[in-house]
Amino acid sequence: MEKRGVRKGASFPISPSSILPALPFLLIFGFFFLFPISRLIYVSFMSNENTFTLGNFQTAFEKPYNSGFVNSIKLGLLSAAITAIPGAVAAYFIETRGSSRLKRTISSMNGVLANTGGVPLAFMFTSALGIQGFLTQALKAVGIDLYANSFSLGTFTGLLIVYLYFQLPLMIIVFSPAISSLRREWVEAATNLGANNLQYWLRIGIPLLLPSFLASFLLLFASGFSAYATANALTVGNVPLTPLQIGGLLDGNVSAAQLNLGKALGVVMIVISACAVIPYLLIQRRVARWQTR
Amino acid sequence: MKLGKLNLPLIITLLLFGAFVVIPMGSAFEYSIRRGLEGGYGLQNYLWAVREEDFSYYLIRSTWLSAVTVLITLVILVPTLTWIHLSNSKLRELIDGLSLLPLVIPVVAFAVGAQISFPEFIQSSVMELPFLYFILALPYAYRALDIGLKAIPLKTLSEAARSAGASWLRAIVIVILPVIRSAVTATIALTFALSIGEFTMTVLLHWDTFPTWVTYVAQDNLLGAIAISMIALLVPFVLISLVALLTPEKEIKESN
Repeated sequence: MEKRGVRKGASFPISPSSILPALPFLLIFGFFFLFPISRLIYVSFMSNENTFTLGNFQTAFEKPYNSGFVNSIKLGLLSAAITAIPGAVAAYFIETRGSSRLKRTISSMNGVLANTGGVPLAFMFTSALGIQGFLTQALKAVGIDLYANSFSLGTFTGLLIVYLYFQLPLMIIVFSPAISSLRREWVEAATNLGANNLQYWLRIGIPLLLPSFLASFLLLFASGFSAYATANALTVGNVPLTPLQIGGLLDGNVSAAQLNLGKALGVVMIVISACAVIPYLLIQRRVARWQTR
Repeated sequence: MKLGKLNLPLIITLLLFGAFVVIPMGSAFEYSIRRGLEGGYGLQNYLWAVREEDFSYYLIRSTWLSAVTVLITLVILVPTLTWIHLSNSKLRELIDGLSLLPLVIPVVAFAVGAQISFPEFIQSSVMELPFLYFILALPYAYRALDIGLKAIPLKTLSEAARSAGASWLRAIVIVILPVIRSAVTATIALTFALSIGEFTMTVLLHWDTFPTWVTYVAQDNLLGAIAISMIALLVPFVLISLVALLTPEKEIKESN
């Protein structure tokens, strides 16, 4: 690389008006992300004859695809609702009482756990909660027969249980920063003004944490709603879920009269996911103002 | 760690969370060391897996795809972010926002878009995967590097390097990268982990990597497939936990 004169070199790449240094990023991002997403949206409005149509979306909201959306939304909401409070409580105790080494270890372990999915996760739960599973047998020994009521991991309830395994660590990850930025001085200030523990939580702690809690819930919803790998490994088409329906259409395993139906399903997924993730990002940005220490 | 009275809630939390994590993992591990029909326990499923020709083939393939993803991430993001921080460009808001967009799009939808958009010569090359993995890891990688660069006196450092006659490339590689090494390490770790475990995008675009190969093995040799899954899960799990446990406190404070 050629050595430039200091002044000339220093002024060229950091000039605010130049976009040249950002070009590689913008080109790669544009080509590998913005382009496929725009094309997906465009094609979702195309009929088989490449004319404009809303027909794909019409079919997307009819049987059996409407129940795919209902089930996926339910799975996202329920898996988030079940893990949000236990995850928040666990994050609270780990953040406020754990040593920094413990916090670091748990946070890296959670990073791995929140990304488990697919076949490995399916195996773990089949080994634990399958008919011959360790936990199934242990529960049977104390008189609880899981399989008495036609339970199976490949059902909606089964998937819901399995999803908790990555949702709980995810909740701990996303909620911990909010806990760690609660300052001890606030408790002390409240106590000095005569507040008891309950009053501190009702008036200060919970109101401060509520936005982050809601944001975490939204992110968990999006994660459960769009998960594909685990459901694909555990079910055999018996639980209608939108990601699986899209996968089936993409693979050609399922044929539809409308070639672009899968794209319309994808666009509806993006809209639903955006309804959760965009508020999440906005709330995170707002609370970041007092969370940065 | 002191096990005082105050820490009882922490201990209960850790026990419950530990059981939640360990029971499924331990059950699968127990299956993976079963000796099939003969009964008893042994490592034969692991030995079988490691001896499979495809095992090393897909492991190596996934490893280099992930290494390329890490390379793309660093080569693209470090200069871009350094420039953004130094120039206070108006593009900052835009690029910050763009970097978060992949969080909004479900991977399944992104995969459909990729399949109908890229020209043939890209779709027929496995090299499309590292670029797509780069996009999937972008929200996390971008944030990790952004935090690292925010924490250092970037302007002083780069001006010093430039006055000493270093080119911009040299200034980034020799001065800036070492100073933000903890952020770079975090970026490498999370980008690599995400790429090597990626399943949805890979399988929907009909590529085979280590995580998708396990699916095929399961059809022929279930115990062997469980053993492979355990390797894929436990090795990073143990490695990452050990690194976190063994890193001395002091170093963390210094690098922060």
